[in-house]
Amino acid sequence: MPAPTRTRPQAAGPRTRRSRRRSLPYLPYLIPGALAFTVIILYPLVMNIWYSLHKWKGGMAPMRFIGLGNYSELLADEKFWSSFQNSMFMIVAMVLVPTLIGLLLAAVLFDYVGKHFSSSVASTLRAMYYLPQILPVAVAGIVWNWILNSQTGALNSILRGLGVDAPPNWLGSTSLALPSVMLVLIWIQIGYPTVIFMSALQRVDPELYEAAELDGAGWFARFRAITVPQIKPETFVIVLTCTIAALKVFAPVYVLTRGGPESSTLVPSYYSYLNFFDKSKVGYGAAVSTVLTLVIIVIAGVIQVLQNRSARREEEGR
Amino acid sequence: MKINRRAFTGLMGTTLLGLGLAACGSGSGSSEGGATTFVIWDYETETSAQAIAWKRAIEIFKDRHPEVEVRTVEQTFEQLQKNAKIVLTGDDVPDVMEFNKGNSTSGQLASQGLITPLTDYAAKYGWDSALPASLQTTARYTEAGLMGAGDWYGVPNYGEYVFVYYNKDMFEQAGLTVPTTLEELESVCDAFVAQGIVPFAEAGSEYPMGQLWYQLVLTQADRNFVNAYQLFQGDVDWRADPIKAGTERLASWIGKGYVAADSAGLTAEDAGASFVAGRHPMFVSGSWWFARMVADIAGFEWDQFLFPGTDLYPGSSGNLWVVPANAKNPDLAAEFIDITLSEEVQAVFAQHGGLPVLGDPTTIEDDKTRVMTENFQEILDGDGLAFYPDWPVAGFYDQIVSAMQSLINGSKTGAEAMADLAAAYEEGKAEIVDV
Repeated sequence: MPAPTRTRPQAAGPRTRRSRRRSLPYLPYLIPGALAFTVIILYPLVMNIWYSLHKWKGGMAPMRFIGLGNYSELLADEKFWSSFQNSMFMIVAMVLVPTLIGLLLAAVLFDYVGKHFSSSVASTLRAMYYLPQILPVAVAGIVWNWILNSQTGALNSILRGLGVDAPPNWLGSTSLALPSVMLVLIWIQIGYPTVIFMSALQRVDPELYEAAELDGAGWFARFRAITVPQIKPETFVIVLTCTIAALKVFAPVYVLTRGGPESSTLVPSYYSYLNFFDKSKVGYGAAVSTVLTLVIIVIAGVIQVLQNRSARREEEGR
Repeated sequence: MKINRRAFTGLMGTTLLGLGLAACGSGSGSSEGGATTFVIWDYETETSAQAIAWKRAIEIFKDRHPEVEVRTVEQTFEQLQKNAKIVLTGDDVPDVMEFNKGNSTSGQLASQGLITPLTDYAAKYGWDSALPASLQTTARYTEAGLMGAGDWYGVPNYGEYVFVYYNKDMFEQAGLTVPTTLEELESVCDAFVAQGIVPFAEAGSEYPMGQLWYQLVLTQADRNFVNAYQLFQGDVDWRADPIKAGTERLASWIGKGYVAADSAGLTAEDAGASFVAGRHPMFVSGSWWFARMVADIAGFEWDQFLFPGTDLYPGSSGNLWVVPANAKNPDLAAEFIDITLSEEVQAVFAQHGGLPVLGDPTTIEDDKTRVMTENFQEILDGDGLAFYPDWPVAGFYDQIVSAMQSLINGSKTGAEAMADLAAAYEEGKAEIVDV
């Protein structure tokens, strides 16, 4: 069947005008939302950009307008760039790995555990995977500090028990701190895609699987040809929300390493915080967070475009 | 100025709601219907000497002012440290508030116009003649927020300093005595290392290691260096002694195993807990650990000695009482501060293991508490308080932590680590000087 060609409506003008006229009476209903958006999002964003154009200690100290001075300083700031480099690792730890593991876990729970044991066993396991998401990050951080502490941590105690003389310095060495933080982030994140993928799988028409099974398709073939394409919309949602979370990750870094050792786990949001609060370089901190916001908007936009394109391709393929 | 403040408050008001920082309804010493409410913010735990002494001060204050309703609001150190500059721009502020001292803390609030100059009160109540000179340093700030000169912006009523906590049992078992020189201290350390014991409980991800570094620098320093480093009364050469000698000594100590090679990621709590658990014979840290040691050490005998080979020690006045610029009752605040400096309240401090800034240590019954207080008096008499290494410039704490981690991990030489610190110091200094 040939795919229908998409054409732009020729008489868009008059129709749009009519629909505008029709929607006018509903305008007042937009006011609360618009007000809330202005107060909660727009105003702070604009003020943040405004501060980023100043040299300012904060409080009632005088503000000095320096234009793009903070931004040009950022360009030469090694720490700023390395913090964005670390953001890439955060994306691996919060998006890539958890999504892949979550997909596999959801498929196993849905296809195997749910069918061969019972749905309640699958639900219980799903809830357990989700537990780290419920746990406050501060609590999770303390627990992981107990585990990863170089001298008294549970992990190193076990390793010493196994005869390792000098167990790794998980959070104190520049080469291991970032992988350790990534490990904790993966642990925190896994439950989120698992839960979403499991609900997505319930949406998939079982007849597709039955037909494939009759055609002799094995589990992996069904997983690849049916499961993955069918749950694409949910995958996009997970990738989008987790990428944003990874770019602005703050709390786990704060509770585990405070950006150290030697800035090896520094991320942009923590760097902004350091400048804003510790150094009282309010304008500079605001510039960091403005750049971060822009990067997030651009990346979110790209993912959104990819999602729309994929949805359109699917529509056209039908 | 007004626009800044309003806009800033507006922004932070909306964004900080989620952080629970609004301290809603907890501030403001308002006069409603004729009754005055006097509001005090502090962040001391209930069992600390400060909290016990200030409780007595509040009772005295209430007796003098039965018409005033006194409200105390317990904050956390972190909360005030990070958010004072936001909270104090509003009108819902306390009448008097405990705050950290130094250029990067109270100095910032002073330079931001968020706290009230107290010079007139200092003269009126005689604080300027009663308090020792080295304690007054942290009370006074210039317009740029630099401590040591200018108006009084805060008043200390207790002190703190760094000394060595040691495990007497471990020393006795090793046949060692308390060292009185730096060389003797190194001999003690060598003896412990030979037995497979790491001498110092240390922490690289928080302040203890930075304070040990500064203490070693101070063994080679004099007051002029401290004034240059802390008060910018001269230039600091980061490639020369005393910094060079102190840093090299610390690097050699790390190399010789006086500090555990895996301590870069450890916190102050980890280090303190290690000492309490009897894993290390020595812990170089502050008087703020004293009450904890008394309470928690059960399995061995412990005591204290002053770091040998120096007349200068990391230490200062305790935190300050400051009066927010928007406070409603500054006169009452000054009177309350004066009460905390009274003989009676200072004696309560001393009896509970605090370090009074005024008073007589000989009246203290507990031996360890008395020795700690007498040592503090000795340091004050010798003008020996050298403040803390992270004080000079804002954000320097993180820089020092990072440099110390480099030294522990061996990822940088002493000279390289000091070059990093020098750059951050000069940048921060320029920020302060360039108002």
